[in-house]
Amino acid sequence: MNWQALALTAKLASLTSLVLMLISIPIALWLAFSPRRWKFFLEAVVGLPIVLPPTVIGLYLLMAFGSATALGQWYVRTVGSTLAFSFGGLVIASVLYSLPFAVNPIAAGFRSVDQKLIDAARTLGVRQFKIYWQIVLPLAWPALVTGMVLSFAHTVGEFGVVLMVGGNIPGVTRTLSIDIYDQVQSLNYSAANQTAVVLLVFSYALLCLVYGLNRRMFTFGGR
Amino acid sequence: MTALEVKLQKAFVPARERKFSLNAEFSAPAEVTVIFGPSGSGKTTILQCIAGLVKPDAGRIAIAGDAVFDSEKRVDLSPQQRRTGYVFQDLALFPHMTAADNVAFGVRVNGAERTRLVRDVLERFRISHVAGQKPGEISGGERQRVALARALVTQPKVLLLDEPFSALDDALKQAIITDLKAWLAQQSIPVLFVTHDRGEAEALGDRMLLLHEGQIEKQEHPSSIQIS
Repeated sequence: MNWQALALTAKLASLTSLVLMLISIPIALWLAFSPRRWKFFLEAVVGLPIVLPPTVIGLYLLMAFGSATALGQWYVRTVGSTLAFSFGGLVIASVLYSLPFAVNPIAAGFRSVDQKLIDAARTLGVRQFKIYWQIVLPLAWPALVTGMVLSFAHTVGEFGVVLMVGGNIPGVTRTLSIDIYDQVQSLNYSAANQTAVVLLVFSYALLCLVYGLNRRMFTFGGR
Repeated sequence: MTALEVKLQKAFVPARERKFSLNAEFSAPAEVTVIFGPSGSGKTTILQCIAGLVKPDAGRIAIAGDAVFDSEKRVDLSPQQRRTGYVFQDLALFPHMTAADNVAFGVRVNGAERTRLVRDVLERFRISHVAGQKPGEISGGERQRVALARALVTQPKVLLLDEPFSALDDALKQAIITDLKAWLAQQSIPVLFVTHDRGEAEALGDRMLLLHEGQIEKQEHPSSIQIS
């Protein structure tokens, strides 16, 4: 078992989930409650990583943050290193790649909150932010946990985008999935199997948690 | 000055479910006006338009002389700005909050004044004993009282009651109506009370509007109106 890769993967997945929570909640609120007819354009953008090959996302990230672009130069000035082959680059790539796995369940959770409760709060003169904070978020908490768990698990299982953006640098960008690939390339099937079993059990446990929470969400509440 | 003036037109969507559109015009003084009519005649839509939850296609709604909606002058205040108290048919209590937190949710003052206001209204509606319990843990009658207390504690300019007593037995209904009347005797605000129960209408109403297929057909005293 490559403990260094395990620690790096856990760090990457935790950071990615945290960042995703911060940006997914406002996006999901907007998608769930905005009356704009054209919001499906944003929904489609958020969902792109589900259908695009990870290599495409990796390629465009490398191009966008390349040393010749203004964005790339700004990134180097701000962070002190290039996006490619860096842990920071992995976090950005993972956030983009796992975005739909956080936003979609959270938006679904927000939509499932009874509109009457929101209407009741509005007639009481309560500001929209307080309605979101004290009514919508607490009632949709299983969806928030689902979004966080799914984005964590999805980041743990990333391969293509990690390889494209981060390469394979031990301690910096070599995650568990890259480590398994390495072991197989060097015909060390036993070591690869050890790591794969850990990922399999871990992923199964997380999915059990997600499905258990979903059951709870649909039985929660009542007047 | 009339406490509430309503003139509104609203097409129902989808139109195939109802062949008529809402076209209501009435005024309501500071007393209980019953809106009586069959299911689907547009009673709830009138309340939703007044509260700002549904936008009329055209018309004017004024509460205490101030326009909250005026299609010609392009006035359309948000529900938060209209200061209506709305009791929904299914009450819409916040299931994750205690009765006291439900009542306190719309109170605009903080600190000791907030605590006093909430305590007073809980006592007034005889629900102090369930203050710390959630809606799922209390009886139907207590939930009804919490919903009324929540709507009234904010001191609304108009109270909108959308069949709030339909799930209660007669004795409980009468007890709540008695408490509500006692409260209203001190408030002097217009109350619109939607119901299709003749007994409720007579028990609480001072006057009655008969709504049929989106039109107000008659305006009379609840006990004198002849319903065909």
